[in-house]
Amino acid sequence: MKFLRPLLVGAAALVLAGTALAQDPIKIGGAFNLTGALASLDVPAANGAKLAVKEINAAGGVLGRPLELVVYDGKTDPATITNIATQMISGDHVVAITGFTDSDSALALGPIAQRNKIPFVTAGATSPLLPTQVGDYMFLEPFGDNVQAAVGAEFAMKKWGDKAYLLYDKATEYTNLLAGYFKDAFTHAGGQVLLEDSYKSGDTSYSAQITKLKALSTQPDFLYISAMPDDIGTIVKQVRQAGIDLPIVGGDGYDTPLLVQVAGPASNDVYFTTHALMTMDSTPAVAKFIQAYKAEYGKDPENAFAALGYDSVHLIANAITQANSTDPTKIRDALQATKDLPGVTGAISYVDGQRVPQKQVTVIGVKDQKLYLAAQEAPSYIPTP
Amino acid sequence: MRYARLLLFAAAMVAVGVLAPHLGEYPLRVVIVMGIEVIMVASMALSNGFTGVFSLGHVGFIALGAYSSAILSLPVTAKHAYLRDLPGFLAHVSLPFLPATLIGGALCVAVAFLVGLPLLRLSGHYVTVATLGLLVIVNVVLVNADAFTRGSRTFTGVLPYTTLWWVLGWVAVTWLVSSRIAYSPFGRAMRVSREDLVTAEAVGIEILPTRMTAFVVSAFFCGVAGALYAHYLTSFSPHAFYFPLMIQLIVMLVVGGMASLTGASVGVVVITLLSETLRNLERGFHIGALHVPPLYGASQITLGIVFILIMIYRPQGLLGDHELVLVPRSRRRRLAGTPREETEVQV
Amino acid sequence: MNVVEYVAQQVINAVSLGSLYALIAVGLSLVFGILNLINFAHGDMMMVGAFAALVLQGAGVPFPIALVGGIAAGGLAGYAMERVAFRPVRGAPDVTALLTSLGVTFILENLGILLFSASPRNFPLPAWLGHVYELAGGRITFTNINVVTLAFAFLAFAFLYWFVTRTRIGLGMRATAEDLTAARLVAVRVNAVIVVAFVLASSFAGLAGMLWAAQVGVAYPLMGFTPMLKSFIAAIIGGFGSIGGALIGGYVLGALEIAIVAFLPAAVSPYRDAVVFALLIVLLLFRPGGIMQVRQEVKL
Repeated sequence: MKFLRPLLVGAAALVLAGTALAQDPIKIGGAFNLTGALASLDVPAANGAKLAVKEINAAGGVLGRPLELVVYDGKTDPATITNIATQMISGDHVVAITGFTDSDSALALGPIAQRNKIPFVTAGATSPLLPTQVGDYMFLEPFGDNVQAAVGAEFAMKKWGDKAYLLYDKATEYTNLLAGYFKDAFTHAGGQVLLEDSYKSGDTSYSAQITKLKALSTQPDFLYISAMPDDIGTIVKQVRQAGIDLPIVGGDGYDTPLLVQVAGPASNDVYFTTHALMTMDSTPAVAKFIQAYKAEYGKDPENAFAALGYDSVHLIANAITQANSTDPTKIRDALQATKDLPGVTGAISYVDGQRVPQKQVTVIGVKDQKLYLAAQEAPSYIPTP
Repeated sequence: MRYARLLLFAAAMVAVGVLAPHLGEYPLRVVIVMGIEVIMVASMALSNGFTGVFSLGHVGFIALGAYSSAILSLPVTAKHAYLRDLPGFLAHVSLPFLPATLIGGALCVAVAFLVGLPLLRLSGHYVTVATLGLLVIVNVVLVNADAFTRGSRTFTGVLPYTTLWWVLGWVAVTWLVSSRIAYSPFGRAMRVSREDLVTAEAVGIEILPTRMTAFVVSAFFCGVAGALYAHYLTSFSPHAFYFPLMIQLIVMLVVGGMASLTGASVGVVVITLLSETLRNLERGFHIGALHVPPLYGASQITLGIVFILIMIYRPQGLLGDHELVLVPRSRRRRLAGTPREETEVQV
Repeated sequence: MNVVEYVAQQVINAVSLGSLYALIAVGLSLVFGILNLINFAHGDMMMVGAFAALVLQGAGVPFPIALVGGIAAGGLAGYAMERVAFRPVRGAPDVTALLTSLGVTFILENLGILLFSASPRNFPLPAWLGHVYELAGGRITFTNINVVTLAFAFLAFAFLYWFVTRTRIGLGMRATAEDLTAARLVAVRVNAVIVVAFVLASSFAGLAGMLWAAQVGVAYPLMGFTPMLKSFIAAIIGGFGSIGGALIGGYVLGALEIAIVAFLPAAVSPYRDAVVFALLIVLLLFRPGGIMQVRQEVKL
């Protein structure tokens, strides 16, 4: 009986210590450009990421511990991004990092994460070069631009023909890369680009380019326009207003409610490759995500990047669980071994030691201002990044 | 005695170089970036402040220096991977840091010379607008010269050569050269041409060569700073050298005092510390039981308000055109030539 | 499509673009003419107008009234800007005011991002504005928006011309532009004149912002930056400080931009902005007074 009290105290202490440990959060870095030129893409991604963390914690956390997303604003400035990388790694001791929807920012943070052996999963940067440029701790969550451009090229060629018109913004990395990959895949398949022209994002009027297109002696079978979410509505609207009814094809930059909102009826016969069909009558996972996002933030997801941010957190959480450890190297290895993990943007697998995921590309068409699934495929030829 | 000042200066630099790394990796980064920005802003002070030619185009030189030095120093394997279309000898050559930096600076000198000849004839608002044009033109050229710069795609794989010692070394060189120019009879000519063109010409000062010298020298150091910056970031694109950077540097220049070299440094330090503090605060914080939620973007707005307040209440900046004592009074008088220059006698 | 049709379409494109530039440039020149101030925050007045119209329409206000609301919001913002930021630095060297305007634009843009988020928003338009006119069997097209923009540009200028030449305050503006001190001496109420100039300039910019958003289809906080830069060039081409010059300069710039993309090889199109600025620099060297030969600053 004498031992009972110390026993009880000891037990209580253990229980308390146990709960204290259980409360110790696992920290993941959330690096996003919440201000500056890229905010319109990164803020939804950050929102998606935060939503995922909330849901994971509501379901009991990871390895019995709550997940904490340590968010920093990169301000779309490379020097600030290097600072936040250091702050996250040396100050907050994060075990993994997610973030950014563009290559410039990913490449500013990547080398620092690589050097410190902290896995970095980019939520929305689609350049397939990134993992080779940074190292084996760098992972892409979305598919690479070379894959989606190739799908776009093959889909368009099958459906309409082998003569294309190509339009892109030379001053933006994403549109530049996408256009390049499209040209590669299209000509490889025997297609011909009749006219290649460029525009400047933010212009009011694409009339000069459109007029040149109309003046072509041989009209193309379709238009491939590589554009960012901010511009695509305008471009489509003006193209149709000029009387051009040819099909328009593009990449995941079209995946924004702005396309239908701004272009209205002009958005008919527009097709784009993207990560998932983000409407309520898509997959159950998408519908659930849209509802949860709306409940949390009071608005529909602004663009596909919201879902990508969401999935990237789940990807990391899954890796931590699979690794059964918070050691960054083990997490990295678990990430590499990810297979068929379901997500809002499709099932994700990393095969053959590649860190660009193998994901199906969804092709969406627009008819009567409604989105529908036009195809879901993988390309037969993938342009080298 | 005249070397005592130099020794003190050198000692201070060494102290920073030895102590800063012990502060932690994040503070060290902040110090390195501050050092690079001091070079940028001090050279802008030389050109904008001392000659009165308010140029908005210096970031163009920073960009040129960054890209040219990075292209030169990139390892050959990386060039084959990312810059497949580089012409001839560039594709097979990979220079060490110092030569790459110097050539970058030299390129900026050449461009500054070509560009300055027509532009520096203009005065007042027109030269401001013209140099703004220079910034845009450099940006467009960088975006379109794919073969050399990868265009708008990120230029990556740059070796991280920049260390605190390199930065401190170049800061010292910048200061020494700039102060030599600024506080010399030539510097007086610069300042007279700033104040009153007619009088300057009347006393035989040749305006264009005076302005050109300051412009070209500042372009050189901006190019060097660009090289340091490129080898610190290791990845960048033309967007990193555009209006946001220009606004940031101008704010630092003006807050410290446009016509003062030490003012430039003061401006950099003050704005950086303010900016970093605000940036960390805007993530949200706790004071006891009070929880302030994050408000991203607040730091930029606050900085803007601080800037406007300074424009209203102290437009000459914190230091005006005085300097922190780097140059003792007696030596300044000897250099300047006459004892009646009131801007130099003040401390 | 034959050459005549091609050119005709491009002319229509250029006129539409030029009207927008002209509306923005006029405000810049107006303020510069009186105060010698280059107002970098002028572009943000566009954002104010566009977002005011957006918010009003969201609250159910019909488009014509929202249009007026946007103009009024622009004017109000201009007034606030003058009182809070620019009046305290009046009399300081020109550089100070220019820098202040940099500070103002920095604040306004970040405030916009904070309040409205950086994502672009759809700018709703009544259906009749989107009506497309077709000529030459559909090979030449333009919409009501183009017509409305042109109409507003000329209305605005007509109003401004009347105001500046026929009203007392307009006379005061011309006097102040000539010589501020002398104007004070002859009892012109300089403060009021300056306020009116700012309000007018910003209202025009607010109108331009709405028309711009109508053409593009979206509004976003950073929308004013590029137009401001372009209009800057337009104002200088016409003669910085001259209202008529701003009008002409706007159309010249519109024509220039379209011409570079339309008539030069496709490889040159990406260099458009560089070419425009290079031409500007050449202009500054040989005819800094612009088309209207405004008073020249000292040139070596």
